[in-house]
Amino acid sequence: MSGFLELAISGLMSGLVIGLAALALTLVFGVARFANAATGDFMTCGAYAALLGFGATGSMVVGGAVGLAAGALVGMVSYLLVFRTLEGRPSVSALLASIGIGFVIRAVLGVVYGHGQQVFQLPLVRPWRVYDLRIQPNDLKIGITALVALLVVFLVLHATPIGRRMRAVADDPMLARVSGIAPRQVMLALWALSGAVAALAGVLLGIKTVVSPEMGWEMLIPVFAAAVLGGIGHPVGAILAGVLLGVLQEIATPYVGFTYKLALAFVILLAVLLVRPKGLFGRVEGVR
Amino acid sequence: MTLSRRQTLAALAGSVLLPALSRTAGAQTAAFRIGALNPITGAGAPYGSGMQKMIVAAAAMVNDAGGAGGRTLEVSSEDTQTQPQAAVLAAKKLIEVNKVQAILGTWASGVSLAVAPLTNDAGILLMNTSGAPALSVPPANAKGLLYRFQATNDRFGRAFAEVATKQGFKRPATMAFNNASGIGNTEGFRKAWEAKGGKVVENVVYEPNQPSYRAELQKVLAAKPDVIVMGSYLADTTIILREWFQTGETTKFIIPAWAANPDLVKALGPEVTEGLISVDSISNEGSDAFKAFDAAYQKAMGQPGLSNVYAAMTWDMVVVLALAMEAAGPNADVAAISAKLREVAGPGGKAVSTFAEGKAALKTGKIDYQGASSILDFDQYGDVTPDFSVSVVEKGKIERKYIVKL
Repeated sequence: MSGFLELAISGLMSGLVIGLAALALTLVFGVARFANAATGDFMTCGAYAALLGFGATGSMVVGGAVGLAAGALVGMVSYLLVFRTLEGRPSVSALLASIGIGFVIRAVLGVVYGHGQQVFQLPLVRPWRVYDLRIQPNDLKIGITALVALLVVFLVLHATPIGRRMRAVADDPMLARVSGIAPRQVMLALWALSGAVAALAGVLLGIKTVVSPEMGWEMLIPVFAAAVLGGIGHPVGAILAGVLLGVLQEIATPYVGFTYKLALAFVILLAVLLVRPKGLFGRVEGVR
Repeated sequence: MTLSRRQTLAALAGSVLLPALSRTAGAQTAAFRIGALNPITGAGAPYGSGMQKMIVAAAAMVNDAGGAGGRTLEVSSEDTQTQPQAAVLAAKKLIEVNKVQAILGTWASGVSLAVAPLTNDAGILLMNTSGAPALSVPPANAKGLLYRFQATNDRFGRAFAEVATKQGFKRPATMAFNNASGIGNTEGFRKAWEAKGGKVVENVVYEPNQPSYRAELQKVLAAKPDVIVMGSYLADTTIILREWFQTGETTKFIIPAWAANPDLVKALGPEVTEGLISVDSISNEGSDAFKAFDAAYQKAMGQPGLSNVYAAMTWDMVVVLALAMEAAGPNADVAAISAKLREVAGPGGKAVSTFAEGKAALKTGKIDYQGASSILDFDQYGDVTPDFSVSVVEKGKIERKYIVKL
């Protein structure tokens, strides 16, 4: 039983990371109406920037902040340089452009840092024993960080003027414009937010695993799965779907086999989409 | 676009010189062209440059000795980027543009498996340094034109079993990265271990790029193994060992050296890595051929030859190929040269250590080239059996303990 619970905790941690990345993906989708395939590479940028900040100061908090800032910056720059000019074109152009941006990011990181792995040199600690359960202090920190980040994102979306404008643009861009909402400012804020959330997912993933130029790109499939499962364009759905996929994968794989881990995620996805074609939380309009 | 006068001149000069260059290349009809296809960038980058430089150096040595079978060797170099896609493009270029008759020095099984269909179609030789068992048999080795200078993963597995016996382990479990190489290691171990009458308590095959390997670890650790034998790479090994340490278990690990290397120790620190057993195939250290290779490597790279086992393999590739060309006689085609490869390297002739020595000895009878990388006796699959070194991580240093011969 304790083994089962430990697996669930481990799945929860993986799920939160995937859910955060799915949130970044779904935020852009809700407003800009395309799947940003560079989301994974925004994650990687965040992780490398955090490594830089962490290396310079020795503080993970500062490192994380540098990572978030870099993610926001990369998000805004790619909007200003690429996605702004593609507004009004079919969404497939933006999707293709985002794949291209991902290539550029990976190539630049590969040239600058090489393709070898890097790690956050954090002290490794033995687990706490709570009854028969092993709990990793690091897991707890990762979990709390992810939850705080979620809270901040929802506060931004629902309790700030810019968040209200974002939701207005998501609902009906024309109506928002008629109501006097400047789309450029909203889009910049959106890309900054999405970039920062992706970067946070990248930093957490980097702490759990290793940092390499391909790390984010390789996570893209589970991230897409979570975003679709949650109902694309739905922030809460993305997170919950990420956690659901993570936990179900972890607790089921000892029984069905580890090679089918990713396949299992897609079986769940298929099953849910058969019953609810819009995803768990999706509505026809997407985000509100 | 505006062209400066200087650019225009340079372009003109180039267009005049190019045909002249290709004319000189065409004039050397007596050249045997080989492609040096090595991992200059990517995961194989620590080895690739040395590998390529040794192909060039060995070819120069052969040419200085008067060539092989009346021909000189001409090397064209390319980078695989340690990626199958890039390697295929580079191989296509070598075959179609450079018209090479042998490709030497592919590293990583995925790369060799991707290049093999191209060399097979072209009917040319592919000499590789990869471990996957699939490279021994059809379809990859359908025409018998593949020669492997590295130990197969299967042999690594056998070496692991020897080490486990020697260290007195009783309850081994395995964890393998889900690809031909990873599973090859652990399956090789399982077969060898069971042949010794032992039992493997758990086998887990895991997928790459997971955010966590805790479920996999938990399954393995539940079987209470005293040692976990890995078929893994650096990144996944880093994550697995970190999570293993955090479980508080004290299992031992036997890991191939391409994963248990100084980078792993650097990433995890001395406490986590203390006592890890790292197994590597090693060069034919102490042989005369190794001395010749070592001197060339020092000259080209400024480092000892011991630092790059793969460069010793590429050195041997050129020497063996040239000896086979010499044995096959003037203007022999690829099939005739391939037919002589086992003969010049296999047992039953005068032992030789350099090309010049072998060329002289071939005039009087059979030879047996004792290579720098191993004694180079190719079996029916074109595979060789090098020796293995066993090292243990102690206080953050990887210390070699003993050598295993299969």
